[in-house]
Amino acid sequence: MKYDYYDLIIVGTGFSSTFFLKKYLEKNKGVKRILVLERGQLFPHSERLKIKRGELADSSAAGNSWETQIINKTPEKRWPFTTAFGGSSNCWWGCTPRFMPSDFKMKTLFGVENDWPVSYEELDPYYEEAEELMAISGPEGTPFPRKVNYPLPPHHFSPIDKILHQKYGNQYISQPTARASRGTKGRNQCMANSSCDVCPVDAKFTIENSGIDVYQNAQVELLYGAQVYRLETAGNVAKKVCYVKDGKDFEIAGEVIVLGANPMFNSNILLNSGDQNPLTGKGFGEQLGMQVLIYLDNLKNTGGSTWVNANGYMLYDGSHRKDYAACLIETNNAPYNIRLERGKWLNMTSFRMIFEDLPLSTNYITTTSDKLVPEINFKGGRSDYALRGMENMKKVLPGILSCLPVEKLKFLDPFPNEGHILGGTRMGKTAADSVVDKNMVHHQYRNVFVLGSGSFTTFSASNPTLTLSAMSLYSADHSF
Amino acid sequence: MKRRTFIAMAGIGTGLLILPPALYIASPALRKHAAMLIREELYYLKLDNAGVEQYVNDYFSSSSNNVITNLRWKAFYYLGIKAEQSNQIFELIKFYLLSTDFFIHKMDESKLVSYLGLYSPYKSPVPNPYSFVLYPAD
Repeated sequence: MKYDYYDLIIVGTGFSSTFFLKKYLEKNKGVKRILVLERGQLFPHSERLKIKRGELADSSAAGNSWETQIINKTPEKRWPFTTAFGGSSNCWWGCTPRFMPSDFKMKTLFGVENDWPVSYEELDPYYEEAEELMAISGPEGTPFPRKVNYPLPPHHFSPIDKILHQKYGNQYISQPTARASRGTKGRNQCMANSSCDVCPVDAKFTIENSGIDVYQNAQVELLYGAQVYRLETAGNVAKKVCYVKDGKDFEIAGEVIVLGANPMFNSNILLNSGDQNPLTGKGFGEQLGMQVLIYLDNLKNTGGSTWVNANGYMLYDGSHRKDYAACLIETNNAPYNIRLERGKWLNMTSFRMIFEDLPLSTNYITTTSDKLVPEINFKGGRSDYALRGMENMKKVLPGILSCLPVEKLKFLDPFPNEGHILGGTRMGKTAADSVVDKNMVHHQYRNVFVLGSGSFTTFSASNPTLTLSAMSLYSADHSF
Repeated sequence: MKRRTFIAMAGIGTGLLILPPALYIASPALRKHAAMLIREELYYLKLDNAGVEQYVNDYFSSSSNNVITNLRWKAFYYLGIKAEQSNQIFELIKFYLLSTDFFIHKMDESKLVSYLGLYSPYKSPVPNPYSFVLYPAD
């Protein structure tokens, strides 16, 4: 380590840390000492690909599975994540719809939970910037307002998408995505392989292939294998970051500290630090997802050019959100969903229905006797709000699909995970209703930022990555 | 009761009682029955027989291969269980089609269906059968 004191210490190298650091460096040119502590190692895409191909690979940087890094008190509910350079960008599927403006005003519009302390309009320029950095492919018209076109053109519709778009207009669109519709910025064109966790052709945006290059900046020192577990505080100020590396304890002093780990580890670090905010670690969860198989008469679902070919908003917004959850429809292009009936092999599509859920206080993160390992409690399970949304969907979906020659619908059981870990350090106006403020600065420790989807006030039905990336840009821009 | 079902129930029942489970592991009989199921289900297609057998060998070499799984495969055939009744048969036949040139030939029933290697988005030459790779935009 070059110094014993840093101007900025960042924990994690995923989306939230990287986008925050990008903006921070733009505003602090060549004068700062910055330390980044990454829990995992650099496990390159090229080595991940070799493993998928069954080839000899250097897996020394692969790290431990997520199951070994937490204590999961409800094993039937899974919480997969990746710890390595680039965080979840290594395993995400690249879906980047914005949140709807209403997602930020759940209390005002629907009387549900709380409003975010930041509005859609305030985030809009940072959404734009994040979309540019990720070279998002997307359509001209969207259900959420945008001022400019997406950097890349949209993916191709299938015949089914065309029919639904014709009927529902901007409520049914080509999905905005970080799976490139054509080669761009060191990434190839998506080939619709539908195996996006490790993209076979490197078409998906990751921190590794992003070209953002903040970790090569001369001001930045990156330390791998550093597992942060606590902040040393004095009064309302965090003084040092405590971490374990190679089995030994270390601490390093810093002026500003940024927690950009995933929500489980961010909460664990704060709780180990003696954070007394009653909401820290509380209201943890994720969206609820389930699959619907749609069997079609004499209509093939061919020609799509990516994994999630389209998003449907027909069940998203409206006064129903006073009573039950919004639902975002993802139209999947999955090769493993085919029919075995003669002449009908490709006469089907499948929708993933994603429901917002609520940050229940009965779902929470606590510390354990192992300072590195948080305990995850999901005994509160799913809210009635989300479950009512799912039941309503089952009733109304046949009507929504009446423009298609539907033979039958098959509703599969909800998935054990949606891959979107949310909550635990929610954002709000005061310490009475939240852990962090609108810039994601901790209400008590004013030199500590707590980034990422853990800060979401409410969960939305939309995929979180674009929003948490935009929030990082917003936070750094307004704080330095 | 249908004859085949009767024979199957008697035969499988006896087998379960007297044969040590280890004998079923990756047995040639299991693979033969799986290949027969594929041919029976896809009777209307011209299948490359050697390819079917190679596929079955590859499929069982790469997937979980426990005693219960193997017993089930024998039972599926003798009990006349069809793909729509069993997820495992469905998976076997689905991955067979995905592992051949069937979708590359746009599901042309008149063409010989040839095995190209186990379907994998990372290794095999077969694209997503729904995708623009096979059905380019107008």
